[in-house]
Amino acid sequence: MAKKTIITVAPTGAWPKKANNPNVPMTPSEIADEIYDCWQAGAAIAHLHMRDDQGNGTMDTAKFEETLRLFRERYPDCDIILNLTTSGDIHADDDIRVAHVIKLKPEMASYDCGSMNWLNSGLFLNTPQFLERCGLLFQELNVKPEIEAFDPGMIANAAYYLKKGVLKAPLHFQFCMGCANGIPGSMKNLLFMKETMEQLCPGSTWSTFGVGHCALEMLYGAVALGGHIRVGMEDNVMYGKGQLADSNRQFVERAARVIREYGNEVATPDEAREILGLKK
Amino acid sequence: MSWGPGFFYYRCPSCGKKFMYAQDLMVEFGADYGKCPFCGTMGEYVKDGPRGLDDAEYFEVEE
Ligand SMILES: [Zn+2]
Repeated sequence: MAKKTIITVAPTGAWPKKANNPNVPMTPSEIADEIYDCWQAGAAIAHLHMRDDQGNGTMDTAKFEETLRLFRERYPDCDIILNLTTSGDIHADDDIRVAHVIKLKPEMASYDCGSMNWLNSGLFLNTPQFLERCGLLFQELNVKPEIEAFDPGMIANAAYYLKKGVLKAPLHFQFCMGCANGIPGSMKNLLFMKETMEQLCPGSTWSTFGVGHCALEMLYGAVALGGHIRVGMEDNVMYGKGQLADSNRQFVERAARVIREYGNEVATPDEAREILGLKK
Repeated sequence: MSWGPGFFYYRCPSCGKKFMYAQDLMVEFGADYGKCPFCGTMGEYVKDGPRGLDDAEYFEVEE
C-alpha cells in the first residue's frame, strides 16, 4: 500500500502583509475561503494565524472565533483538521496565547518547544511555565500539540516534557528549517533533526517546512525521508525565483504533485487523523 | 510561527547600486556574500531584516 503523506497548509502566518504579497489571506473571511480552497487541493491540516484590522499578528480569540464560524457556515462539507497557533504575536501574554484553545478546542494547536531571538530583533519567549501549562492543558482538552522545533535543542526539550508527563506520546513534530536564528535548511540538517527525534522521542511522527531558498529541498526531503510537509504563505511569499505566489493553493498543488510523482498518496484529513492519533 | 528569511541589504561603494542577499544563502556564497553583483566590490551594510516594503529598490542576488 502506498504511503500517505500529510500536507499542512499555513496560509497566513504572523508576518507577511499585502504589501509583501497581495494574495496573503488576512481577514477571517479570506482565511475561511483559503482553507477550503487548499483542502480541495489536498491539504489535510490548516495551521492558522490571525491578523488585527491593521494586518498585524494577533492572538485575539474573537478573530479565531469569527474565522471558524465563517468557515463552518460556508463549508459544512469540509473535514480539514484545524490547527490553531499559540504563537501569533510575540507581545501577547500567556493567558491570551491559550484563550482561543480553551474556548474553541481545535483538534491541534502549535507548541513551540523553546525560546529564541526573533529575526535578530526581539524575543520569541516560550517559558518553562508556559510550556508546562500548555502541555497539560492540551492533554486535558484533547488537543494534539504540533511541536515546532527550530533547532535540535527543542527536540531535546520535548523529550524532557515527555518524561515529565507534560507531553504525551506519540508526539508530532514540525521541523522549522531555514528560519533566521534557527537551524539552516539543508538535507544534512533535516536528516539530523529526524535522527535526533528518533533517538529522543521514538515513535513520533514528523513534518517539515523550509523558509526561503530551502523550501523545495525540504519538500523533496520530507517525501523521500518519510515525513510530512507544510507549505504556504506563512513560510514563503515567493513561489519561485522572482515569482510571488498566486495563492496558497498553488503551494498545496505543487506538494501534492511531488507526493504523487514519488509514488506516495496525499493523506485525506481522516487518514491524517489516523496517522496522528487524533480522536475526532 | 515562522517569518520568512532575513536579508542583508547593501549599497555598492564603487558603482552605487543597491542589492540584497538572503541570510539563508551565506553558505552558498561564502566569501562572496555581500559583494556587488555588478562590479564585484564588497557592499556597504545598509540594514538587515525580513522582506521590506522598499525591496524593489534592491537587486536580490540569488546566484
Ligand atoms: Zn558595484
